[in-house]
Amino acid sequence: MTTTEFGIVYAVHIITSHFGSVASKVCECLLRRGPLSSREISRLAESDINHSKVKDILYLLIQHNCVQAFSIEPPDGSESKATVQYIALFSNILHRARYNKFSKVVNEELGSQCSGVLDGLLSNGRLTLEQLIDRDRDSKKQMGSEAIRDSLQKLVAARFVERVPSPEPVLGNKDEGPAQKKRGAKPSKIFKEPESLDERILEAATPVDAIRFPFIFEQGSSSTVADDDSNISEGKRKQPEVDYTSGPSNEVIWRPNFEELIRRLRHKACVEIVKERRDEGCANVMKAMLEVGRSQEKKAKTDKSVPMSMGSIYEELIKTDAGREMTQERVEACLEQLSATSSYLPAFVIESDGSYIVDFKSIISVAQKDEMESVVMRRYGKEAFRMFRYLSQEDRFVETDKIADAALTEKKDTPQILLKMWKDGYLHMQKLAVTGVYIPFLLWKVNKLIVSRQMLDEMYHASLNLSLRLTHETDSEKELLLLPMEKLEGALKERRNKYRAKSVLLTSARFKLDDAIMLFHDF
Amino acid sequence: MSTRRRPAAPRSSSSGMTENEKKILGFIRSKQGMGATKYEITAGTSIQQALVTKATTSLKKSKLIKEVSNKGGKHFLAVEFEPCKELQGGDWYVDGALDVSMIEDLKEICVNILERLKQKVVTLEVICSCFQKASRDEYKLSRDQTKVILDNLVLDNVIMEVKSNGSSEHSALRIGEVWYKLIGKKSGGGEARDGAFASIPCGACPHIGLCTPDGAISPTTCVYYQKWLDF
Repeated sequence: MTTTEFGIVYAVHIITSHFGSVASKVCECLLRRGPLSSREISRLAESDINHSKVKDILYLLIQHNCVQAFSIEPPDGSESKATVQYIALFSNILHRARYNKFSKVVNEELGSQCSGVLDGLLSNGRLTLEQLIDRDRDSKKQMGSEAIRDSLQKLVAARFVERVPSPEPVLGNKDEGPAQKKRGAKPSKIFKEPESLDERILEAATPVDAIRFPFIFEQGSSSTVADDDSNISEGKRKQPEVDYTSGPSNEVIWRPNFEELIRRLRHKACVEIVKERRDEGCANVMKAMLEVGRSQEKKAKTDKSVPMSMGSIYEELIKTDAGREMTQERVEACLEQLSATSSYLPAFVIESDGSYIVDFKSIISVAQKDEMESVVMRRYGKEAFRMFRYLSQEDRFVETDKIADAALTEKKDTPQILLKMWKDGYLHMQKLAVTGVYIPFLLWKVNKLIVSRQMLDEMYHASLNLSLRLTHETDSEKELLLLPMEKLEGALKERRNKYRAKSVLLTSARFKLDDAIMLFHDF
Repeated sequence: MSTRRRPAAPRSSSSGMTENEKKILGFIRSKQGMGATKYEITAGTSIQQALVTKATTSLKKSKLIKEVSNKGGKHFLAVEFEPCKELQGGDWYVDGALDVSMIEDLKEICVNILERLKQKVVTLEVICSCFQKASRDEYKLSRDQTKVILDNLVLDNVIMEVKSNGSSEHSALRIGEVWYKLIGKKSGGGEARDGAFASIPCGACPHIGLCTPDGAISPTTCVYYQKWLDF
């Protein structure tokens, strides 16, 4: 899904609050205009930012994984040199607002030491083991170098942390066929054409799994090549030659693997949806299924899992306390429930030849539908809610009177309600002129793609508003916040408590809204 | 200026009606309870609109036709016909207005039936038979009317429609036969979550399209935020 207007404004706001206004101008320029060279950025960025400053900012944004450099191979026979271009990574910028969610995922799975190491990587963007150890030495709660090394190893093994991608992948020029373009890619991927330039760049920059998630602590391992300016893209083509143990300057640089972290959040959201819509038992079965199929998932936005047998699901289930309470018969009943369809819920699991497949798309679509319908309900009322649900169900153009009949709404009021939703982009409308009828028929439809895009744009806007309002509340109580809490009494204490309540409400609302944004953008 | 009058339209000697009026009356009568709009009369009789207006006024004065207004405009009906259901709005309309209170009553009855029979598989027939036993005549719904009420409850997200899949729970039903079940806590099942976006002021705001960080409508000046954060 392409970025929306408020998506850009929100991303720029995040960059402004984390890195200042100059960095945000460079970032906005890239988000609005697409890939640019550093010279083009210094020419096009609104305010006067000289070339060397632009370069510094680009390095800063690359360090924090918000920008990726790349170049396009010049056409055969051309003597011109490939120019380095930069692209803003919109999703990674948005991830900055959800670092505590990532940290929580790691804390739950690998414990506090690992989440501490991940926090270091999240706040610094990318670090070497040496730098992580130095950072620990300066902190109050020291973990020790061994613990950091172990935690990093666990994080890499669980794929929460990855080796940094190639700093400047070279893309084949557009005339070339896909096979020539990706010389270093895995054989299975050779004939698969990536959809967009962003995806092509990211795919070209990502090293193969053995280099991306190496067994770093096996000395002399060929997969422990250090990161310099070229060896990762090269690494796709040839065997690495430099050993990790050759010295700190040649050390491997690590960064958080957002793909895996988002996958875990997606799985958590799926389990939560199943728990809400079915029951605890079904949620436990779903959790086990996700665990079984996880290693086979190629990308975070997979539509369907691999098929899995009843035996493998049960084997995974009994590893947990809650799962051990379930008999195989109960698990079978849960799978039957998960495969059932109704007007209320689609099938979450597809059964085929005795194996079971998790239908991620249908689970996520249920939560997306909830989000859309609850906005329609609150903004336009119960009648509109019925009309919207009817049109979503029909998934075709329907005439005004038919909608009124199905939704049992007053025929005179129906066009006004539909028009309101149409004006806000929640409905699609077409006029149909019929010979012999004076007034043209109005036909209406819910276009899920357009509605999702509209909702997402409004949610970015709302998230920005929550953040701006919190800043406003903090600014208006700036002086009060400087006073120590224990010295406050009476009206001042009351004001301080009110500020705290507002701040908690705004922060938690933004946190929950971000879950909804992920439903539409990342899942 | 000439004062010459236009020649009068030829009048039928027997009924005192002009040829146009006769033709229009015939057309309106042919439409029975549905009647015809001025536009339809013009198109159906090939008489100019001005003459149609004149003729319908005259026919109305002579009490040969009557006028019924609905959403689609004015319909002319011959006096001997009553407006049909479509013209009145349908089953659920009384005097041209939707009978909302009756619809709500009927929905409540359906919910009560489903709540009472929540351990059983409730099909359309079961609910129809309950309505047939109703004490009030207006609650004695036909099968089609009952289905409309149930479909409306599905759209309200209060009940769900389930298709039998031949499992033990549906042993009494044919595969593919539909039955109804309450949604949410009342049925002991799960419930749709409250939307995160809908539960903040921006989700319900009709002016979100006009809101900008530094504009006249902004999160710092927003009255909805003021109300929401008023502790």
